[in-house]
Amino acid sequence: MAQTSEILLSGTGGQGLLMAGLILADAVVRDGKNTVQTQSYGPEARGGASKAEVIISDGEIDFPKVTNPDVLLAMSQEAFTKYANKLDSGGILIIDSTYVKDVPETQVKVFAMPYSQMAKECLGKEMVANIMALGALAALTGVVSKESLQSALMSRIPRGTEDLNQRALELGWKTANQAAA
Amino acid sequence: MKGNEAIGEGAVRAGCRYFFGYPITPQSELTHYLAKRLPEVGRLYMQAESEVASINMVYGASGAGARVMTSSSGPGISLMQEGLSYLAGAQLPCVVVNMMRGGPGLGNIAPSQADYFQATKGGGHGDYHLIVLAPNSVQELVDIMKKAFDLADRYRNPVMVMADGIMAQMMEPVELDDQYQIEIQPKPWAATGKVDHEGKNLINSCYVIPEEMESLNFILRDKYSEINKNEQVCEEYQLDGADIVLVAFGTASRICRAVVEKARAQGIPVGMIRPISLWPFPADFIGTAANRVKCFLSVEMNMGQMVEDVRLSVCGKAPVYHYGRFGGMVPTVRDVLEEVKKIYSGGAGQ
Repeated sequence: MAQTSEILLSGTGGQGLLMAGLILADAVVRDGKNTVQTQSYGPEARGGASKAEVIISDGEIDFPKVTNPDVLLAMSQEAFTKYANKLDSGGILIIDSTYVKDVPETQVKVFAMPYSQMAKECLGKEMVANIMALGALAALTGVVSKESLQSALMSRIPRGTEDLNQRALELGWKTANQAAA
Repeated sequence: MKGNEAIGEGAVRAGCRYFFGYPITPQSELTHYLAKRLPEVGRLYMQAESEVASINMVYGASGAGARVMTSSSGPGISLMQEGLSYLAGAQLPCVVVNMMRGGPGLGNIAPSQADYFQATKGGGHGDYHLIVLAPNSVQELVDIMKKAFDLADRYRNPVMVMADGIMAQMMEPVELDDQYQIEIQPKPWAATGKVDHEGKNLINSCYVIPEEMESLNFILRDKYSEINKNEQVCEEYQLDGADIVLVAFGTASRICRAVVEKARAQGIPVGMIRPISLWPFPADFIGTAANRVKCFLSVEMNMGQMVEDVRLSVCGKAPVYHYGRFGGMVPTVRDVLEEVKKIYSGGAGQ
């Protein structure tokens, strides 16, 4: 059987989750694997909650939507409440504790970091919290190589923000190693 | 690449010179993509004031011999039906994309396959057919556009490319062929102001005298039977030794491919036939397969539309069942697998 990971990135509109999904999918292709990326659109996307779905496999991907994610990133309380119960029992939950305060006891592995707060304090821009979280996700799960993630990131961000995004990725990557240690 | 963008790029590479359309979710990224891309290669993108205007602009450009397309989703495609009938009647080639969404009525913007009847059985008035193609991956969306334009020109007939909201919105890696050559045959029938032809070329579908109208209908009938003979396309998946054969197109066929894998792993001999041309329907292939399988299950994102064509193709040789989700819902692998097990334990396994 092919190795497949289902990843759900969720939060609030404006946090850059669709962008994070795009960068992750792009990086996976650079690693030579298959990926399908979908996102919520239309009225659903305007209701506050925002999500991007990325499926990664070394085989062919049939069903293009995430049903039971192996990895869930939740960057808002609303998204956490909506999607946490869908997480696979052996899954990994990554939360931005700046906004997700209420986390009930769970069997899954939980990694909580105040990404938004850290992005604001350490990097001066809260808007790169998505890239920090993406770095942490990649380091924690190993679904994508750091080199591919870096080159995908550089190809998709606006010119002039390379340094900021690079630092955000590094910082996120480091938090994962701390959390795992 | 996103599905919508893939169609746009496929159209550009297939030599599409004009696009006339009107935005509607879930295909708006396609109009967005072409609005930027077509002018880059010196061609024309125009946002019309409505879908009715779009399809009639298509009629005009096609009559002048250009490769032309439009795209929409259910409600917009419904508005285009009169124009499609006129295009078919005037034997004009064009490509129309329908990214199906949940209906009926204004419905929603979730994925659906409920426009199967509309696409394959007419939709507009009069005796006519569209050629209808149903890809199931982003790569195939790119590749099928060339085929769509080629078929339209070869048969002088509108071609519809049908997919759904999921395929429109999802991203998959795509390989673009840089060696891509297009060959557009001369169109001596086109109204080009006598540059390319002698005498008068009239683009018309109005024949007041019934005898003349019937003559055109004879021409159309012969054309449709030729298309039916030459252009049935489908893909088979694990048909060897299959007792139960799933029939599914587009997104539903991706789900069914996973169902086949799972069922086979549990010892249930399941295979799949994926119609790629919905009209002409791959009746010959399914009819032959019916000689050696126990039953068929048509899996669709609708109440049961293609299942009628499967039944006609099977022609009583085996039972044909239907499983569907409607209104923008997508069946899960688990649901379809349950249905397969139910059928298997209910007789197809003996």
